[in-house]
Amino acid sequence: MDSPGEDEIWADMAVIFPVFNDAPWSEPAPAVDPALWESFVRALAKHDMCELLEDIMVAKISEHLLEVAEEFWARVTDQTVLGFDRFKQAVQGLDRDSANMLQYVRRIEDMRRMAGVTRKIYGIDDWSVLLKYLIRATLHSQLPVPKELSAIGDFYALSFKVFYHQEKSSREFNESGEEYHCNGCVELAEDCKCDQIIASFHFVNRILIKLELLERLAGDVLTSLMHKQIESHVQDTCESCYTMCFIEPLEKWLNSVVVGWLNHLYSTAPECPETQSKLITFKRKLNHLLYETYTMSRIDQLFNIIIEYPESSPAITDLKLCLKKTHLRPVLVEKLKATLGKRLLHPGVNTPDIITAYISSIKALRDLDPTGIILETCTNPVRQYLRGREDTMRCVVMSLTEEGPGDLADELAYGDESNQVETNWEEWLPDPIDASDTKEDKERQSWDIISMLVNVYGSKEVFVHEYRNLLADRLLTQYSYNTEKETRYLKLLKLRFDDSQLHYCEVMLRDVFDSKRLNTHLHAEPNFGLNQQELEVTCMILSAQFWPVFKEEKLELPEKIKKHLEIYTKAYEAIKGNRTLCWKPHLGSVNIELELKGRTANYTVTPTHAAIIWHFQEKDQWTIDELSGVLHVPPTVLRRRIGYWQTQGLLKEVATDTFLLVEDSAARTAKNVAASDAMMCEDDEAESIMASAQDQREEELQVFWTYIFGMLKNLESLPLDRIHMMLKMFASQGPSAVECSLQQLKQFLDAKVRDHKLLFSGGFYRLPK
Amino acid sequence: MKVTIKSWNGVATWRWLANDDTCGICRLAFDGCCPDCRIPGDECPLVWGQCSHCFHIHCIMKWLNSQQVSQQCPMCRQEWKFRE
Repeated sequence: MDSPGEDEIWADMAVIFPVFNDAPWSEPAPAVDPALWESFVRALAKHDMCELLEDIMVAKISEHLLEVAEEFWARVTDQTVLGFDRFKQAVQGLDRDSANMLQYVRRIEDMRRMAGVTRKIYGIDDWSVLLKYLIRATLHSQLPVPKELSAIGDFYALSFKVFYHQEKSSREFNESGEEYHCNGCVELAEDCKCDQIIASFHFVNRILIKLELLERLAGDVLTSLMHKQIESHVQDTCESCYTMCFIEPLEKWLNSVVVGWLNHLYSTAPECPETQSKLITFKRKLNHLLYETYTMSRIDQLFNIIIEYPESSPAITDLKLCLKKTHLRPVLVEKLKATLGKRLLHPGVNTPDIITAYISSIKALRDLDPTGIILETCTNPVRQYLRGREDTMRCVVMSLTEEGPGDLADELAYGDESNQVETNWEEWLPDPIDASDTKEDKERQSWDIISMLVNVYGSKEVFVHEYRNLLADRLLTQYSYNTEKETRYLKLLKLRFDDSQLHYCEVMLRDVFDSKRLNTHLHAEPNFGLNQQELEVTCMILSAQFWPVFKEEKLELPEKIKKHLEIYTKAYEAIKGNRTLCWKPHLGSVNIELELKGRTANYTVTPTHAAIIWHFQEKDQWTIDELSGVLHVPPTVLRRRIGYWQTQGLLKEVATDTFLLVEDSAARTAKNVAASDAMMCEDDEAESIMASAQDQREEELQVFWTYIFGMLKNLESLPLDRIHMMLKMFASQGPSAVECSLQQLKQFLDAKVRDHKLLFSGGFYRLPK
Repeated sequence: MKVTIKSWNGVATWRWLANDDTCGICRLAFDGCCPDCRIPGDECPLVWGQCSHCFHIHCIMKWLNSQQVSQQCPMCRQEWKFRE
């Protein structure tokens, strides 16, 4: 270091590189005499000081960059300037600073070339690359929190908007108001800044690409911006429109608008060789993003899509395609399950509505996923819930046999064609991992809608049982001998269900049909005297063994009626040897004509109603107890029946439990009649003439009583579960076995305890002594 | 007031006038039908023997056809004769 040349070198260095002596970087580097420069470099090389110079330069640049970076970020995060300009200014400043440093970097490069230095700094031997490298490193070392980087987002969002509107219609002005606004920059038309914006956009991008900062600085922002654009576009175009396929238009949009903009962005610096490959990666990413966004939006709307199926089948087709490209299947299953639960499975939804939705989802999900796995997993909670509703089967049967919701009747007519297509083994795919392995592939595929509904309960018996009750109800409340429609349905049902299970229903329909014939026959035969009767008696003759159990109701008919019915019975006995009739006096329909003061009125009512009004012929005023004594109808039932005549304005409750006949038509107000008519209809409909399911059940359990009685006689006392176990072992075997849960048995036994037929103490049942 | 009943559509169930509820051979209800039949009543009638026992006609016929030696009532072992 003592050599005299060294001092000289230091002096020269101060002149050539003034920044080393803390001269501001912003000043242009002073011009250097080429001769001086050459001798300087030679001296450096001689004293082996080239590397030292480089080190000083790196240190100085790094030092300066800290300030540059600080200034850059300060500009970017400066809240007082508009986002768009902020970023532009910051990048401008950065460009200036990097240009300043580049002057000295050129000198160093020159020096290296002349002195033949090949040392690598940070593994880089090209100084201009090194400069970019240092800039990037320093900038990122001071990166503020993302929240403060909104300026970058603003910049690109605005430029995208301008671009988007230029693309759409090369500058189309909003002509609605007096002031013309440019759609791009939302400025008044006369000072539209679109061109300026585009210019600065290109300017900024050029710098960033030059410094290789674009992806690092704006990559995230760009991606999220694109994402947002895609999201809002998907929302705008596909929101609540399920009747169109959207994939193709969306892809077209992405290619023309978004990718077009990206092309625009990169086209500002075409010299960069990696641009093309970067674009392709970006494009691929965006494509995936589009699919994912679209799929998510469809998944969110899936419930509505299902409800609108089959109108919404294009949406399902789209979703099917998307599911293959994305991994959103588990999301779909989870979301749909949750939505179904939230929208359907609560007490506020009527059972028919749940069933309609269930049918729709069967149809739609079958289309979406032919293997039936999504269907199975998603609708499992629905099935479980339906199992808990009492009227499920009734609703299913109802919609099957009537033109109810979901067009099940049509479905029935299609028959049980399980479309087992011979599949090519080469196209076989294993089940997705979320499939439960309990079911066979084929079993899943062969499920059609009807069997899925019937299988809600896991057995066809419940369905057939419910159908029988419903059929009985319908036949006996309509009193129509026209069974054509019912017969047709029964035939369709027979295609699906076991013939033997529907045998009972067949007999029921046949009873109705035979009754019709018999009635005509009896009335045509003069010997029986039916045609000379005052009133026409017809009868529906049922085979009791094949009909559901009827609710027992007593009714003592007026003498006159009884005589007529007796004649009918005689006629029947005459024609069918050794057989007789047991009348169900409370069932049927009666057509009566009332002759009131100055008018006549015609009614079709039940026998009980007819009998009540009949008795008011004898006297105008009856108490409930009196009527009950005559009719043998319990007062509670009687009161309900009288209600009908009250609403018709014929009877009036003058005192508690005392009713008076009102013949005066003036006493009836029209309003009164109208209002109560509706009420009455409801009441009638709600009531089934069949014994309730619980009553029937109790009847069935009576079978066990003899067993239980015998058990307790031998073993003195037994706990509940022992009784249940023994019943299971001995009593419920064979074809007519009655299933009986522990809970039901407990109810049954408790009823017996209440009747004093059993004693219960300390958890043991005993027979009373 | 005068009530005129114009027509009375009643409901009734039919039953056999037999001394028992179930057929002694098939143990099924008389008012139902024998195991081989599907429709009760006219298509599966009852027959009475002179011993006053009665069965589904199909049941007793099957029984009588299976008896090689003598035709007896399955209930009382008297000789079976149809009562007219």
